[in-house]
Amino acid sequence: MTGENKFFKYLKIGIGFFVALLFLMPIFILVMDSFKNQKGILTDVLGWPNPFIFDNYPKAIEKMNFFNSLWNSVWITVVSTGLIVLFASMAAWVLVRYKTKMSKFMFILFSVALLIPFQCVMLPLMSVMGSREVMSFTLGEYTISLNGLNILNPGGLVFAYIGFGSSMAIMLYHGFIKSVPEELEEAAMIDGCSMFKTFWKIVFPLLSPITTTVAILQIMWIWNDYLLPSLVLKNQSWYTLPLQTSKFFSTFTSSWDVATAALILTMLPVIIFYIVAQKKIIKGVVDGAIK
Amino acid sequence: MASLSFKNVKKVYDGGVVAVHDFNLEIADKEFIVLVGPSGCGKSTTLRMVAGLESISGGELYIGDKLVNDVAPKDRDIAMVFQNYALYPHMTVYNNMAFAIKLRKVPRDEVDRRVREAAKILGITEYLQRKPKALSGGQRQRVAIGRAIVRDPKVFLLDEPLSNLDAKLRAQTRTEISKLHQRLGTTFIYVTHDQVEAMTLGDRIVIMKDGYVQQVGTPIEVFHFPYNIFVAGFIGTPQMNFFDAKLIKETSKLSKNGSEYYVELLGKKIKLNDKLQEVYSKKNISEMPVTLGIRAENIEIVPQGTPSSIDTTVDVSEMLGNEVHVHVTINDKDVAIRLPALDAEAESISYKPGDKISLLLTNKALHLFDKESEVNLYYK
Repeated sequence: MTGENKFFKYLKIGIGFFVALLFLMPIFILVMDSFKNQKGILTDVLGWPNPFIFDNYPKAIEKMNFFNSLWNSVWITVVSTGLIVLFASMAAWVLVRYKTKMSKFMFILFSVALLIPFQCVMLPLMSVMGSREVMSFTLGEYTISLNGLNILNPGGLVFAYIGFGSSMAIMLYHGFIKSVPEELEEAAMIDGCSMFKTFWKIVFPLLSPITTTVAILQIMWIWNDYLLPSLVLKNQSWYTLPLQTSKFFSTFTSSWDVATAALILTMLPVIIFYIVAQKKIIKGVVDGAIK
Repeated sequence: MASLSFKNVKKVYDGGVVAVHDFNLEIADKEFIVLVGPSGCGKSTTLRMVAGLESISGGELYIGDKLVNDVAPKDRDIAMVFQNYALYPHMTVYNNMAFAIKLRKVPRDEVDRRVREAAKILGITEYLQRKPKALSGGQRQRVAIGRAIVRDPKVFLLDEPLSNLDAKLRAQTRTEISKLHQRLGTTFIYVTHDQVEAMTLGDRIVIMKDGYVQQVGTPIEVFHFPYNIFVAGFIGTPQMNFFDAKLIKETSKLSKNGSEYYVELLGKKIKLNDKLQEVYSKKNISEMPVTLGIRAENIEIVPQGTPSSIDTTVDVSEMLGNEVHVHVTINDKDVAIRLPALDAEAESISYKPGDKISLLLTNKALHLFDKESEVNLYYK
């Protein structure tokens, strides 16, 4: 290896190291601060914990009703992701395989839906979801009546996630399904599969790379989401982990010591999930890329 | 095992494009039928209509005695081998083969027995636990065929199954398919664009063009008595040579028919053979301009000055090992001559471009076609 090559090699490693440090620094500070008391944090944010205390964690677990919130987060994330994968894969398959004017229109509708920012529909959505009354809007000479859904609860949250998550999932599946040879489905039909069985026994297993991608994206988003649950979940016992962290910040005081521990506890499940599933996730993404 | 019957079967696509026009054919039980033709001739569409993968726009299709126009593919009791094999990539070879009969709730030990038996026939037993990805093209093809065998279907459909194999493997697998047909005793419908496959495999060949059936017949029939110029040109390598010529009828007291037929080409008169004399006399065909077709092997190279011979020069000479193809130009058309080269003396028949040679068209196998309708006068 020539000297110049060696130099670039070390330069690359150096830059990589620096970028990694940049990304890990906030997490490092968070971890450090979670072992300090309030005074320690306020006097020395970046320093080593002195005294080193573990009290913050039990306090945070108790205060944020950790296990209940963890359960809420887990089931809302799992059920929403599962249903998005289920509906989006089936819908995308039909949209790819049955080319009609209607299917093209539907696909455009899903694509356009991606462009609408959540904040635009947030408030009207909440009034429709929250009200039990019949609401009437007058548009010129027409009157539109909507039944309030009265679903400001975890079930309603899952419902909203399916609505907001499906567009992108359908787009991803749509692109992937186009690369699945139609002959496989024809072979399955000749072999004796109904449409439903063709999908579940042949098509869906072949979609696993993109299913992994869709699932990761949805899990990350739903697990970390704060805004939508804060609008939909009215009862404290329904709170997800990110919502609970708000408890530590009020108008006049912020208990940073417990809050940092709570944030670590909120992040931990996703990090563990990633570490455990890492091999599969990377394989899924790579398989998807070179299919 | 079943017979098939096509009655005016038609396929019209949404845009009004007609892929198959009135297709009529009776296929006997255990017959090996080959549909052959150039790309876009409707052969695959016809096969897919039998499979139920394409709807039938008009006419009736029977498998056995059952009208199947509106029967779902899974209820037709057919098996199909696809051009790209269509093996399920996420299943092992074993599961690929067992999939269809498992769906039909065949008992487990029976499934196992049938899969292993088919694997043994095709020599793929050692690959049963592999995924299709880990197999070569030839092995995948065997699995695809095995998947069909396991089903024990009434009709076997094969859609260009050899087109993805290399030349050597293709010839080998062709022989195996032929053996398989004899062994299974099932009706086979085979689609190909390769006329060699069609000739070697089929009990009968259906030649199609632009959605129309051009001729249905045994390999011998379509080769020696092609119905029209298209069939004559499509079947046989190198392609049949065609010339503009004239059919001449002369009264002759010596002939038992009272007249004799000749064909006039470039001012030379060639007397037709006895069979054609008899057929044409019976049909009382009169003089007319015709297209003369003659296969490469029926043109002889003779010493210069031989009566009725045509003088020309060699363009290209191709040595194929067991035969030589000599190409010359006559009347601005490429003409191929095939000479057997059976032993080392073949060197004496290798020609160089520019060599002067004389050709004699033998009257053993001349084909005369009506200039307008392009139909063989034999069928007029």
